Amino acid sequence: MKSAIRLTTSDRLFHVIVNTCLLLILALFVIPIWSTITLSFRPNTFIGSALDGMLLPPWEWSTAAYKALLGHRTFIVSIFNSFRIFLEGVASALFLTVPLAYLLSIKTLPGRKFLYGLVLVPYLFNVGLIPNYLLVSKLGLMDHLAAVYLPGAISVYNTLIMKSFFEGIPEELKESARIDGASELAVLWKIILPLSKPILLTIGLYYGVHFWNDFFNAMLYINDSALQPLPILLRNILLSSGMNEYVEVNAFGEAPIAAIKAASVLLAAIPMLVAYPFIQKYFVKGTMLGSVKG
Amino acid sequence: MKKMKGILFCFVFALLVAGSAFAQADKLTTIEMWYGAAITEAGPPPDDWVVYKLLREKFGIDLKITAEPSNENDQDVKILAAAAANQLPDIFMVRRDPWQVLIKQGLVAPVDDMYALMPNRAPNHFDKDSIAFTTIRGKSYGFAFPGSLQKNEGLVIRKDWLDKLGLKMPATLDELYDVCHAFTFKDPDGNGKHDTYGYGAFVELFDQEQYLGRRFDPIMGAFGVAGTWNMTAANFGLNAKKPEFFEALQFVKKLVDNKVIDPDWPSLKKDDFRAAWKQGKFGVMREQMAALAAAANYAPFDKNFPNGEWAALPPPKGPKGLSATGIYDSNYRIYAVSPKAIKAGKKEAIAKFLDWMATDEGYKLIGWGVEGVNYSMDANGDITDKNVPADTKFSSPKGQTVTQLRNMVFYNSDLELAARYPYYKTANGRTLGPRTYLGTFQSYPWTNVTGSGTIAPSPNNADLKRYINQSVQEFVLGKTPLTKANFDAFVVQMDKLGAAAWEKAARQQMEDNGYLQ
Amino acid sequence: MRSETGAIELKASAGRSHPFWKNLKRQKSVYLLASISLIYFVVFKYVPIWNAQIAFKDFMALDGVLGSPWVGLQNFRDFVNSYYFWELIRNTVMYSIGKMLASIPAAIFLSVSLYECRNYYLRKTVQTIAYLPHFLSWVIMYAILLAILSPSSGILNDLIKLMGGKPISFLTETKAFPWIVVLSDTWKEMGWSAIIFLAALMGIDPSLFEAATVEGASAWQRVRHITLPSIRPVIVMVVLLRLGTILDAGFNQIFMLYSLPVYSVADIIDTWIYRQGLLEFRFGLATAVGLFKGLFGLMLIVVSNKLIKRRTGSGLY
Repeated sequence: MKSAIRLTTSDRLFHVIVNTCLLLILALFVIPIWSTITLSFRPNTFIGSALDGMLLPPWEWSTAAYKALLGHRTFIVSIFNSFRIFLEGVASALFLTVPLAYLLSIKTLPGRKFLYGLVLVPYLFNVGLIPNYLLVSKLGLMDHLAAVYLPGAISVYNTLIMKSFFEGIPEELKESARIDGASELAVLWKIILPLSKPILLTIGLYYGVHFWNDFFNAMLYINDSALQPLPILLRNILLSSGMNEYVEVNAFGEAPIAAIKAASVLLAAIPMLVAYPFIQKYFVKGTMLGSVKG
Repeated sequence: MKKMKGILFCFVFALLVAGSAFAQADKLTTIEMWYGAAITEAGPPPDDWVVYKLLREKFGIDLKITAEPSNENDQDVKILAAAAANQLPDIFMVRRDPWQVLIKQGLVAPVDDMYALMPNRAPNHFDKDSIAFTTIRGKSYGFAFPGSLQKNEGLVIRKDWLDKLGLKMPATLDELYDVCHAFTFKDPDGNGKHDTYGYGAFVELFDQEQYLGRRFDPIMGAFGVAGTWNMTAANFGLNAKKPEFFEALQFVKKLVDNKVIDPDWPSLKKDDFRAAWKQGKFGVMREQMAALAAAANYAPFDKNFPNGEWAALPPPKGPKGLSATGIYDSNYRIYAVSPKAIKAGKKEAIAKFLDWMATDEGYKLIGWGVEGVNYSMDANGDITDKNVPADTKFSSPKGQTVTQLRNMVFYNSDLELAARYPYYKTANGRTLGPRTYLGTFQSYPWTNVTGSGTIAPSPNNADLKRYINQSVQEFVLGKTPLTKANFDAFVVQMDKLGAAAWEKAARQQMEDNGYLQ
Repeated sequence: MRSETGAIELKASAGRSHPFWKNLKRQKSVYLLASISLIYFVVFKYVPIWNAQIAFKDFMALDGVLGSPWVGLQNFRDFVNSYYFWELIRNTVMYSIGKMLASIPAAIFLSVSLYECRNYYLRKTVQTIAYLPHFLSWVIMYAILLAILSPSSGILNDLIKLMGGKPISFLTETKAFPWIVVLSDTWKEMGWSAIIFLAALMGIDPSLFEAATVEGASAWQRVRHITLPSIRPVIVMVVLLRLGTILDAGFNQIFMLYSLPVYSVADIIDTWIYRQGLLEFRFGLATAVGLFKGLFGLMLIVVSNKLIKRRTGSGLY
């Protein structure tokens, strides 16, 4: 990206500072994440401060927490449900968001201002739990996985980001297609979408993570235990001490509660962590032509 | 003619199909139940659970159950949201506060005529008190199933620390303070580090245990102000307004100021608190007998401190010679029935179902599972988890899934206690178990507040509660100086927020029902 | 305005040559496709708004939305006159603005640093690690924070004690708690928020940079004059959108971290609503506060959009 021109000292200093800042940021993130990882492997017999816990050598780690979770039938079923929600949710969300975002990005669209207002109003008036619950139950979505992702399938925030991206695609490309007689739909399909990989992946990921982590909708709308996604199970594990009166039996055997909590959260985050690096490479390609306009 | 025969045949066939469909529909009544799981994270019963089959064949009941979230707030939200959309299930467990709201909205059905349909349940589950617990304005709006054992908590102290420091068991509040001081500063675990404290607690609030919460009640009890309400006829009212309460706060503040109490107490949650004592962080605490001494819960502590020993400690006596570990009330779980279910004619089916659960067959199936698979009977006629496969015994993860409804059948019988709280040997050879402590805990002084559980909430409940509890903590932590003037101002403000009116209404209600002592 | 000559040559029909109708014809295919989205939008966003009329009613579940009696502005009055009203507003706004002031610059800083970093491994590593905390729920964040901030066993206080100071109880000190909320949220979301800025940065035309380098601009100047201004529209949009939801200060986080000693600086509108509106079945009240928040946010967006548009030329609309 940069031509081979000799660096001035000011530039060299610039890069040293950038790298140093990044290293500090790295430390800022590694330390707490490392403490969570060591927490998930902490054996039941550990006594000591958190600092000691972070320095525990790997051969003293215990996999009891992971064994307990992965051997749990409910855990496996809920991961499967979460995957379904993720895939169905992202597909629905993109299918619904892209046309709307594109529509809004067409500067010459009749009724554009009205449409824009239509989209912004619900963003501000988050009417809360009950009005949404009434709707979902009337639509017959109770006990369907769709109840988890459908209410949030169009996020105004994501729509506007996508619209902004579409607007940044140079007019010339769209114009030349239009002059050739293409309908807007064709323009969208043949020109815009192929150039939109980065934004589709980004927004898709935004939606996907949101659906994957949602527990509130699942708790309200899913009663069938065969359909419950991971966050519900996690929340029960993580907050169970509020209710568990028959405390004589630990549902998870030998691992300390704190390790179970840490392990369950890390396990829940793994699919996302695995998916992201694959998507990352699409950002590295600076294939966008033209700058992003407002 | 052939055509006629064909049509006739089809007609008869259709009739038969329709008839059998109707017959099927006739046979099976679906009951939808939201229950409070014994251990939510263990998962629901499997689809081929023997109870489902039995209910279908014996009573024509198709049971569909959903576990409520284990967190109490989540439970309330789920129930209230469903209530708002008029989508409550046929029968569901509900906490008292939301239940009272639902009654006002007409979303739970009166069940007075169902008690007579449950002869098996009556002896152990329904008595005068339990029916009174769910009676509002003359009608019973739900079933009160026995909750967990009463008085099953108590103060315990690290006996090994006392011995090491040559101290004796504290009997008064001042002696308790001295012991806490020693535990903090005289290195009772002998590891050369200043990492131990005297008293350990966290804020655990219940309806009848507000202010600083249950874990501080042994201290509050020394001043006669344990629990939310004072239920004596002479002195009825909110404990937070009493002058003795001011003195109690002063003592707690003394603990805090001199750092002889674990400083994390304001922000710990229950699991953190339990993890802390298993790591030897403090030496005096109020704990539940099974959380303390059940094999699975004691094991980590035992591993860390094989010679550690928790001895039951009678609650310390205060300046006027009073003492109490805490309060006790009748403790019930409410299961309510929705009016929709009654309208759909499910009343008898629900009664039959609940009643069957209390028969010997139902009691054992739901409480422990199948004999030979999940449990076995030993020589004394006690239920144990020995002599059955390790992966299906009722204490195993798989076994726990078939006993998720046990809270609906248990009534704290001896059979249950023996099965749930077996004895075992600790690392240094002692025989231990929750029952070691139970009898002792129950023998210590407790303040009786029966009836206070039925007090209707004040109109400004949330804000008033927050104001009181927040102010109390601010006093104790030194954010507001604990002076008589400030305390008096606190009481005045409480009244402005509705405390005085609430006390008046509550007093009337308690008098009407004969609960004042 | 686009030229119309091409269009007129192709479609030689008279009368319907007005741009509006031309556009409509051309765009009807997209309108058609978007019609599904629009229907969805109306159903899932506007029907709840219709349901939200319970803000003006005393909601009775059995009577439903239409059958419950009207109480006019009583719910709003209950909210505004409640004992803690001003404290709630103050706390909510404080957290929203605080988080915005901390997190947006942090995200921009991170994204620009990553963009400018020439060391492939460093960039990759930071990029991958920084977004991880976003996936941690606040329940586990609470545990992490406790391990760091606990006055008796936290890492930070261990260090303070080593240096001879008194341990600070961060989570229960009214002076420290707001900082913890803002900083922990920034830490958690910084990497994730940086993604959107990074995507925008990737979209900057490289030729602009080459031109600048040829003209002898230093790296600092390049960042100041090209990089940052190029993503200004995105920054503005993000800021405005966040302003619109200024009264949403992060329920999950506060709910996990707060406790009675710090209620006075921690209780936000949503936690109050949770206790007062939800747990006490006062859904009319809860919905009324939702509308209140929305109106407030709307006003804020309208005003800020005007101001920001005047100053920088770009706005939300």
